[in-house]
Amino acid sequence: MKNSKKTLELKFERTLPAPPGEVFDAWLNPKIPGNPWNMADKLLLNPKVDGFFYWKAKETSHYGRFTEVERPGRIQHTWVSPNTLGEESTVTVTFLKKGENTLMTLVHSDLPDDDKARSHEQGWNYFLNLFPEQFGDASRKRK
Amino acid sequence: MDQLTAVLTAISHPSRRAIIGQLANGPARFLDVAKPFDTALNAVTKHLKLLERAGLIERRKQGREVYISFRGEPLGQVAGWVHEYERFWNQRLDQFARYFKDKNKKEKK
Repeated sequence: MKNSKKTLELKFERTLPAPPGEVFDAWLNPKIPGNPWNMADKLLLNPKVDGFFYWKAKETSHYGRFTEVERPGRIQHTWVSPNTLGEESTVTVTFLKKGENTLMTLVHSDLPDDDKARSHEQGWNYFLNLFPEQFGDASRKRK
Repeated sequence: MDQLTAVLTAISHPSRRAIIGQLANGPARFLDVAKPFDTALNAVTKHLKLLERAGLIERRKQGREVYISFRGEPLGQVAGWVHEYERFWNQRLDQFARYFKDKNKKEKK
């Protein structure tokens, strides 16, 4: 049955000063800061095709199943969390060699585009956290 | 212009963000708001009008003085517009990129 729910896709890109193999390994290593596994208070991670992950941070649980693990170019897994309203979304990460660097692209697709999926409280915190950095600093510079 | 556009326009200018930063500490009189700026009072007035149009400030008369105060509610519209995962992945990827930059710096030393 075709899913008629409205979904959205988010795309992010970063250029990293390392070869794709190194970036690929770092993305799956929970000890490296910045990957999603690193922030977990509780983590189960089996990054193989049909391997599952579970991580819990700040009382929020995330689940998923790896569907593609092709070193050094591509990782894909499903992603289920309260912000996906319990629905399966898809995270695809690709690593493309660009000279001595790697162009890393992360696409989070099949996200429910619903007000409930947007965290107003988190969004608020995000903006309030900007206050000391952006607004406060801008004001101080002019004194 | 819808309110979201008005709010995004209002917070797009560094001087207006500075005014918000100042008013976030508490209400202030017009001349106090204008004091840190080198620009003409006219320019400050224009910034305040844009902030007022976005609903980010309000003026209140107290005796002979007019006090300007910050209102945070309209920022909620912008917050709601940003998807939770927009914020999440940008934070994670920035931290991940920083790890590689720091690692490269250490290796070059």
